[in-house]
Amino acid sequence: MQDLLYFSQQLINGLTIGSTYALIAIGYTMVYGIIGMINFAHGEIYMIGAYTALIAITGLATLGVAWLPVILIVALVCAMIVSSAMGWAVERVAYRPVRGRHRLIPLISAIGMSIFLQNYVHLAQGSRNIGFPSLIEGSFRFGSSEGFQMSLSYIQITIFVTTLICMTGLALFISRSRTGRACRAVSQDLGMANLLGIDTNRIISATFVIGAALAAVAGLLLGMYYGSVDPLFGFIAGLKAFTAAVLGGIGSIPGAMLGGLILGVGESMTSGYLSGEYKDVISFSLLILILLFKPTGLLGKPEVEKI
Amino acid sequence: MKTPVKKLVTAIGASIAVMGAGHAAAEIQIGIAGPMTGPVAQYGDMQFAGARMAIEQINANGGVMGEELVAVEYDDVCDPKQAVTVANNMVNDGVRFVIGHLCSSSTQPASDIYEDEGILMITPASTSPEITERGYELVFRTIGLDSMQGPVAANHLASLNPERVAVIHDKQQYGEGIATAVRDTLTDKGIEVAMFEGITAGDKDFSSLVTKLKQADVDYVYYGGYHPELGLILRQAGQAGLDATFMGPEGVGNKDINTIAGDAAEGLLVTLPPSFDKKEENQELVKAFTDKGEDPSGPFVLTSYTAVQLVAEGIEAADSKDPFEVADALRAGTFQTPIGTVEYDKAGDMESFEFVVYEWHSDGSKTPVN
Repeated sequence: MQDLLYFSQQLINGLTIGSTYALIAIGYTMVYGIIGMINFAHGEIYMIGAYTALIAITGLATLGVAWLPVILIVALVCAMIVSSAMGWAVERVAYRPVRGRHRLIPLISAIGMSIFLQNYVHLAQGSRNIGFPSLIEGSFRFGSSEGFQMSLSYIQITIFVTTLICMTGLALFISRSRTGRACRAVSQDLGMANLLGIDTNRIISATFVIGAALAAVAGLLLGMYYGSVDPLFGFIAGLKAFTAAVLGGIGSIPGAMLGGLILGVGESMTSGYLSGEYKDVISFSLLILILLFKPTGLLGKPEVEKI
Repeated sequence: MKTPVKKLVTAIGASIAVMGAGHAAAEIQIGIAGPMTGPVAQYGDMQFAGARMAIEQINANGGVMGEELVAVEYDDVCDPKQAVTVANNMVNDGVRFVIGHLCSSSTQPASDIYEDEGILMITPASTSPEITERGYELVFRTIGLDSMQGPVAANHLASLNPERVAVIHDKQQYGEGIATAVRDTLTDKGIEVAMFEGITAGDKDFSSLVTKLKQADVDYVYYGGYHPELGLILRQAGQAGLDATFMGPEGVGNKDINTIAGDAAEGLLVTLPPSFDKKEENQELVKAFTDKGEDPSGPFVLTSYTAVQLVAEGIEAADSKDPFEVADALRAGTFQTPIGTVEYDKAGDMESFEFVVYEWHSDGSKTPVN
């Protein structure tokens, strides 16, 4: 009985962390799907989202606003607006001028942008860990056996539910809306979409904005979950999310979701049953294995050579 | 027309060089290397505050052998790679005396360069035994060793009659070193160490670890590492309802752990150097710090002050600015410092150094336990 509870607890832990990887991975996968480049500054956008949410929460607290839903919504909206603006600006400044060149050039530009944003936050906010108020406190406790009790905290539930809503919303947006259809067209063939009258620049900007907005959601959620932010916050999470995107098949949105969850559960099971020291070893070995047998990732479409 | 101008320029250049040289002769550079930025910059602040104060006071009292001490500060971010760069910069800048580094993993690679280049180094904070184990002539410290601190922690844990203890570390030189010392002492005392495991520094999610601790049903957890990770572990343990007391070394004992862990930091046990700022004979010095608006209570402020003082007294005692002669003088002498009487053994360790167990509170204050 205790073993089962332990397993379920680790599963919950893994799914929580996995959902947030998935939220961040969307940004990588959408951008790759559409213009075939890896936006390495995406992790930093996520970090900036977390900082913006924190600034908004602190601001509201000084104004004396204490009603939780207001704080959450204002923090979320602020974070999404600032991150989206950042995502848009990054594309405009660092990627559009070099688009269509050799593929290494945008990649280097992206890495440069990532370093710039990281150091900018270092300077503006200091390099220390800043405490993040956990606004959603408390947890369900159940299934006690031999002193081991499972717990499912409200914030974990919030993370699942929010991720689910965002993912469903995004899937509907891509499959139903006019802009979504244009996104799919651009990802299939940018040149042809352009010829057919789609404003490809606008669609590419939209992709960056959507990815950044989702990253901001993840930033607020994870800030509350972990209770601290620092300027390197985005780098490691970005790396993991990028792995999740590749694992699931880069360019595929359900793939990002699946990849995130597999990576999250894999990590928590490894540290639960083996040792935390092997966590990254196992997750990256998993990545290599999957890429060996399925080079496009789990749900990735096989690359068709365009002639 | 051309030649006189050239001559004039050369003459000016030469006189500037002479002036520069003359200026340099009247001062002794003290390199201070530690983290000014990065996740553990708090400790760097303590180190720089202590060293600056010592330099200021020594200069106010006429300097060393009639020469002024000049602080040259370097940021190593507690990153071993950066520490090597900093050490090479010191060599290029002609620094002969170094106060630093702070993190053991930075101090060790940097000390190789200092020893090769004939630079004297006193670390006010690095506790890893390996640093002084290599028979280096120019390496000293003004702090104890993990092999002293670990047993203090383990003995305290043992006195609490624990059923099962988990020992966690961050896989870095300092954290793993001290965690190993704690585990070994506990095992010697016949206490069950239920878990000995590493985590990755910089990680944010410790929910799996906390779940594991819960299942292992441990009543005490020792963590070897720094506060950013322990803060998160404490907080996540609190949320998951893990009922265990945590303990850590001086690397977790600073107020930033409260901003991360919040109320979960209450009751944390920390081994620290004794509060030198509470000692009767240091009150004048403490006042000098508080007058400047600085906090002298951090564990590395007065050790760092002492390191500068030892360099100054070593130079006076050797009557030479040659680092090797100063090192001999430090080994030969006995010095009265704010951290007590300092005598060095052959390795460059202090003959005795005491660690004390404190209980940490959620408001950032601490009370001695024994």
